[in-house]
Amino acid sequence: MRIFNPSFGMAAAGPAKVTLQPVNWATDAIALISNSKPNARELLEGVRAMLGAHRPVDNIHFHAKNSASQPAPKELIEKVAKNYKAALLALGD
Amino acid sequence: MKDIAEQEVIDIGDMDVEAFNEYANEQGWSDGMPLFVPTEAKVAKFVETVRGDNRPYPPVPPRQVVPTLQALAANAVMAGCKPEYFPVVTAALRGVLDPEYNLHGTLATTHSCAPMVMVSGPIRHELNINCGTNCFGQGRQANATIGRALGLMLLNVAGAKPGEMDRSTQGNPAKFTFCFGENEEENPWAPYHVQRGFAPTDSVVTVMSGEGPHNLNDHGSTTGDGLLTTFAGGMSNPGSNTIYGKGPMFVIIGPEHAATLKRDGFTIDSIREELWKRSRVHLSRVSKENLVTYETTGHKPDGDWLSIGRDPKDIHITVAGGAGKHSAFIPSFGGTTVACTRIAR
Repeated sequence: MRIFNPSFGMAAAGPAKVTLQPVNWATDAIALISNSKPNARELLEGVRAMLGAHRPVDNIHFHAKNSASQPAPKELIEKVAKNYKAALLALGD
Repeated sequence: MKDIAEQEVIDIGDMDVEAFNEYANEQGWSDGMPLFVPTEAKVAKFVETVRGDNRPYPPVPPRQVVPTLQALAANAVMAGCKPEYFPVVTAALRGVLDPEYNLHGTLATTHSCAPMVMVSGPIRHELNINCGTNCFGQGRQANATIGRALGLMLLNVAGAKPGEMDRSTQGNPAKFTFCFGENEEENPWAPYHVQRGFAPTDSVVTVMSGEGPHNLNDHGSTTGDGLLTTFAGGMSNPGSNTIYGKGPMFVIIGPEHAATLKRDGFTIDSIREELWKRSRVHLSRVSKENLVTYETTGHKPDGDWLSIGRDPKDIHITVAGGAGKHSAFIPSFGGTTVACTRIAR
């Protein structure tokens, strides 16, 4: 007996591959992004404080999604990509 | 030989139904209840019912695969659908694929949401969909299997496997199936799909990522004003997602309550306005910690009150059910929309 596979699907075309640039964690700008759930900001504040023991933190900035339940808006992703060499995402949940 | 996940057609030899169910469980295809076998012949009958709908399907998140009609039909067969239900199921799938529905978020969340499927228009009676007594409950093949088929598609095509991609803290019985019809015949206002701009003769599927129905019991009120006080009290919930993740919600009014509201001059719009005003949550019912979170994420109170949506239009209203003094409130995930799809026939 032959059956159709209920999980079969064709792979969607993936996004264009990007080449990641090396990050200098001692000096480069870093985005700290919260998913807007409770405690994500607190976690990131701890990360920023710990980084401060090793490097300047004036170019380490906090950002947040405007809704925990929805994807990050395109504008936020573009802003982070344009202005930062690295991003750390905290998932409070 | 291809991995099973990459094979569109699988030869399972001479398995009987019990053996197939064991096999399907091993593959992760089951919602836990027995499945029908998606043979090539059965799947072909289902595919025939949607031949007039040639619009391609987008990649289905979170798994991001483009489904074939045969794979979708296999899920409807397994759910126990009749072939003529399949256009309703595919319309429901198109609804949850509306980008504003936020399928990835609604499947991956820790919230308990499940896709609510409401059917409007002439197809309700053609398929014997329950719109009246016990419409959210058991007893009709169409209600039971249309909702189940969508759930199986989300499991098998979208990849929403419990404990893996589906991270719901407690889940919800509505994840097995949640499909009902509007009671247009006892709705004193316009049916929901007509409110949304469709013709009364159109058959339409409406989906929303919602919780199960919360009962709104009012045997005592004899006025529309009294009923709305009860409804609003049931909706005013500091534990609802929509208190901070603003989004839509449904109030499904039972026919007897609807008749009272209509007699007293209420319209869909005036019901919305009243429920919006009366269902606000007083800050004394919100914890200090939560209030800080809401304020820092842009959900500031209006004076001493938090609203349960963005504006009155977030409250969607229609009529379903049978005799009795009950209505229902169905809150949503929050970051989602109410998507309507005309059934292609």
